[in-house]
Amino acid sequence: MKYELVSGFETHVELATATKIFCGCTTAFGGEPNTHCCPVCTGQPGALPVLNKKAVEFAIRAGLATHCEINTVTHLDRKNYCYPDLPKAYQISQFDKPLCEHGYVELESGKKIRILRIHIEEDAGKLVHERGFTLIDYNRGGVPLIEIVSEPDISSPEEAREYVEKLQLIMRYIGVSDCKMQEGSMRCDVNISLRPEGSEKLGTRTEIKNMNSIAHIEKAMRYEYGRQAEILSGGGKVEQATMRFDETTGETSVMRTKEDAQDYRYFPEPDILTVNIPQSEVDRIKNSLPELPLEKLRRYIDVLHLNAQNARLIYKYKAACDWFEEAVAAGASPKNTLNLIVGTVFSRLDTEEDKEKFDVGISGAQAAELIKLLDGGKINATLAQMTLAKMLETGDGVEKFISAEDMRGMDDGELTRLCKEAIAANPQAVADYKAGKEKAIFALYGYLKRATQGKADVQKATEIIKSLI
Amino acid sequence: MAITEKEIKTLARLARLDFDDERCREFSGEFGEIIAFADRINAQVGGATSDIREVGGREIAYGDLRDDEVKESLLNEKVLSNVQSEGGFFPVRRVVK
Ligand SMILES: [Zn+2]
Repeated sequence: MKYELVSGFETHVELATATKIFCGCTTAFGGEPNTHCCPVCTGQPGALPVLNKKAVEFAIRAGLATHCEINTVTHLDRKNYCYPDLPKAYQISQFDKPLCEHGYVELESGKKIRILRIHIEEDAGKLVHERGFTLIDYNRGGVPLIEIVSEPDISSPEEAREYVEKLQLIMRYIGVSDCKMQEGSMRCDVNISLRPEGSEKLGTRTEIKNMNSIAHIEKAMRYEYGRQAEILSGGGKVEQATMRFDETTGETSVMRTKEDAQDYRYFPEPDILTVNIPQSEVDRIKNSLPELPLEKLRRYIDVLHLNAQNARLIYKYKAACDWFEEAVAAGASPKNTLNLIVGTVFSRLDTEEDKEKFDVGISGAQAAELIKLLDGGKINATLAQMTLAKMLETGDGVEKFISAEDMRGMDDGELTRLCKEAIAANPQAVADYKAGKEKAIFALYGYLKRATQGKADVQKATEIIKSLI
Repeated sequence: MAITEKEIKTLARLARLDFDDERCREFSGEFGEIIAFADRINAQVGGATSDIREVGGREIAYGDLRDDEVKESLLNEKVLSNVQSEGGFFPVRRVVK
């Protein structure tokens, strides 16, 4: 029998606020252990949590960007469990009234992965297990998180990858999180069940906890699919369980089963009042949202008619898109601007982080002054690339590198005149070309190159030469 | 529900408080009163969380929430002043095998 994969994600995203969710301690990553702590985030008796407005705002932003409805009257709840990463023996979270509900994340195919809810909560501390001890660092304890719970709409590891990537992009675009999985600012719990193809009924699911890389998610899903399919096709039953993924073996194994599932005894958090958010504030946040990643990608391809592959390379980096759009607004052609970004600018940015920041030394508007020369045929692509590289290196404008002298001979009239000269000077090559030897035209390029110190636009010259002979 | 002196002693040890026998006796009495009070509240609201929300149902306006401004944290020595620290960490008995 063929089985269909059914998967839902619970994704934790750390919000990029300056302070923790209930106290003024910094959220900065790293730092010596237990140096970003205070009586509130270490759970000292009598210390009272005070909710961070920015954390609520960021969660609403995330909700609106994923098409959720916002519960403007919302409260927090206690989730009780006893583990040393929580100093209070409970986590302040949201149970029955999450801040955001009923949204979706759209994939490129147009398929929508529905979002059941997004709630705010505090992150736990970090545990290091060493010899007979567990050592606790509460620096991360109390960092604001949102938990994004999807419906079980994901039906393949590939869709899972795209869902996580799209979520990451959305969160980065709207500035609420850097979503760095390797630093733990984005982590996924993956629910998986199987059902016979065509069946509507959901099977028993397992949950793989705490995945911190997209590659691992895909691997774990493939393994878990195989494991469950084997059980089911052998006539067995999948047991509801929480699983762990072993990065070295690529296998999943049972961590705990349903029998020892915890009862979190949720109850309303008495130390924090119910929050009442005016609709005007929700509207303000909605109006401040930027164009979202998928809308941008579609506009680049469908409206600006950009090469899809290049558009895909740039749309992942919002700052790069902003720079691109600034250049285009200043009059540069979208096509040439994108080519220069992908070919010249990106090659100077080594890491993902550099591309993310897109701190390139000149503005999009400055680049536009160069690109317009290329657009108008005043310079060729090679010279444009070389000059852009110099501009990026020095931060100087185009006038520093390209003089009127450089552009002489590059307008259409001048180029036509030079092409005529080249034809007159190379009768044998012209004859060969006419006889079908395509490569003979290279002799004419050589002439043009010498006459213009390599600045002639070869593509345009080819058109002119072909029209002349 | 009464609370025994032995339970008080355990709690005191966990909280690193030093109680002599007389204090323990006093406390077991006080604890009894506190628990009785909680029972009285529970009886009033039937133990349902939505009812508890009603009882304490005050609201805070969004505008009155805390601004996102960093305050100085506690010194590490202070944070760890109640434990025998290991390299700046809180140590507990190993929780995983
Ligand atoms: Zn704190």
